[in-house]
Amino acid sequence: MKNFQEEKITPDQLREKIKSFYKEDEWHFITINGTDTGKSIEVKYFFAKYGKKEPVYALSLEIDYDQTLPSITDLIPSAWIAEEELYDLLGVKVEKAKGGIFLEPDSPKAPLRKSFQPKQK
Amino acid sequence: MGKKFVVPFGSQHVALPEPIRFVFTTENEIIRNVAVDFGYVHRGIEKACMSKFKYTQVPYVVARVCGLCSISHASGYCLAIETLMDIEVPKRAVYLRIIAHELDRIHSHLFAVSHLCEVAGYENLFMRVMRDRELVMECLEIFTGNRVQYDFVTIGGVNRDLTKEVYEELKPRLEELEKRLLQLKEIFEKDYTLQMRWKGAGVITKEMAQKYNAVGPIARASGLATDCRVEFGYFPYEELGYRMVLYHEGDIWARNMVRVDESLVSIEVVKNAMDNLPKGEINVRVRGNPNGEALVRWEAPRGELLYYVKGNGKPVLERLRIKTPTFSVIPVMKELYYNQPYALVPDITISFDPCLSCTAR
Repeated sequence: MKNFQEEKITPDQLREKIKSFYKEDEWHFITINGTDTGKSIEVKYFFAKYGKKEPVYALSLEIDYDQTLPSITDLIPSAWIAEEELYDLLGVKVEKAKGGIFLEPDSPKAPLRKSFQPKQK
Repeated sequence: MGKKFVVPFGSQHVALPEPIRFVFTTENEIIRNVAVDFGYVHRGIEKACMSKFKYTQVPYVVARVCGLCSISHASGYCLAIETLMDIEVPKRAVYLRIIAHELDRIHSHLFAVSHLCEVAGYENLFMRVMRDRELVMECLEIFTGNRVQYDFVTIGGVNRDLTKEVYEELKPRLEELEKRLLQLKEIFEKDYTLQMRWKGAGVITKEMAQKYNAVGPIARASGLATDCRVEFGYFPYEELGYRMVLYHEGDIWARNMVRVDESLVSIEVVKNAMDNLPKGEINVRVRGNPNGEALVRWEAPRGELLYYVKGNGKPVLERLRIKTPTFSVIPVMKELYYNQPYALVPDITISFDPCLSCTAR
């Protein structure tokens, strides 16, 4: 049973959508999650209201593997860490993300992609 | 204007329990720039849970994300799966989870408090807090069977009941711990040197906490009233005497005091849960495979822990996402260093109680 409220948007709508509702003293930005669906990457931005027992609100979008995602760090400064994680672990190109924070240079690239299979011992 | 010096801090440093690397650019010992790297202990746990392990095995895998809050990881994951599969956990099991979870919070908080004393140069106080922490470690061992990796929580309930014998072992230890914590609180409130060192140092204002989305004790020490136990409401905390601890100073001292006070609240919650334990089963049988999505915001000792699960009707999950509390406080921590004296770096860092094993996963 899905227990969060989800709104589907396109990558082009992301920044405007966040600008339209996000207020620092009202909304808590939780994180960004990426999922490799096998055809594209599904990206969700999770938010919750401070002090309210309300379902988590998620903005959901899909991007192609080689598409670049707009950065939201000027709107939500703490989002850089989640954007860096998307870049490192899922290989999602995000504007401003440099990579190399979650993985070392000799680590496998984008290990959370379906195409990456860990070596079996 | 002084000459700029670049000072690396970590990845291995005497003040750091876990590996994180900061590169500080300082001018007259004041920090002007900082870069951070924390991917030293990435173990691919999410990938393993999406490729190697069945969803019923995952509670025991995610418990290994962190030694200090292993119960939070297992509980957050189990609650997400139970929500997804519409499993009703018996109320007795819910109470038993609360007991384990709050005992875990106490031992994690006391660990952080002790380390903060250590970096402040109070070796004796460090030893004293660690000695008092042994009481809660004993409680956890008696109650769950293990000191650190409990494997107590399972999908559908818990693995072990609270017997009368265990109750009688736990009760006096909790009473003793409460007494010792009150003594410790008095030391932190009155000790001149610690107040000189921690009060007004490393201040995070409420606005800054909101701007950088701080969580847990860091947020509550800055007057930001946020706690997943209230906002997500996953367990009946209100009926067990829970109350939110809030400080408004936002400094190192306030972050320490939040942990001490929250440990006292947790003792009260544990005692109330033990005294009012509902009768009934401690787990239910789970059938089928998860299909769909669910998430849980769980208040781990260090703050908000997010578990997002996505199943596709198969035994192995399509996606498991773990967002840890330290992941959320690194942005505010990085921002806080700017214009602070370099000498305060160990105290500021440890006042965040950072967990890098959690963050890198």
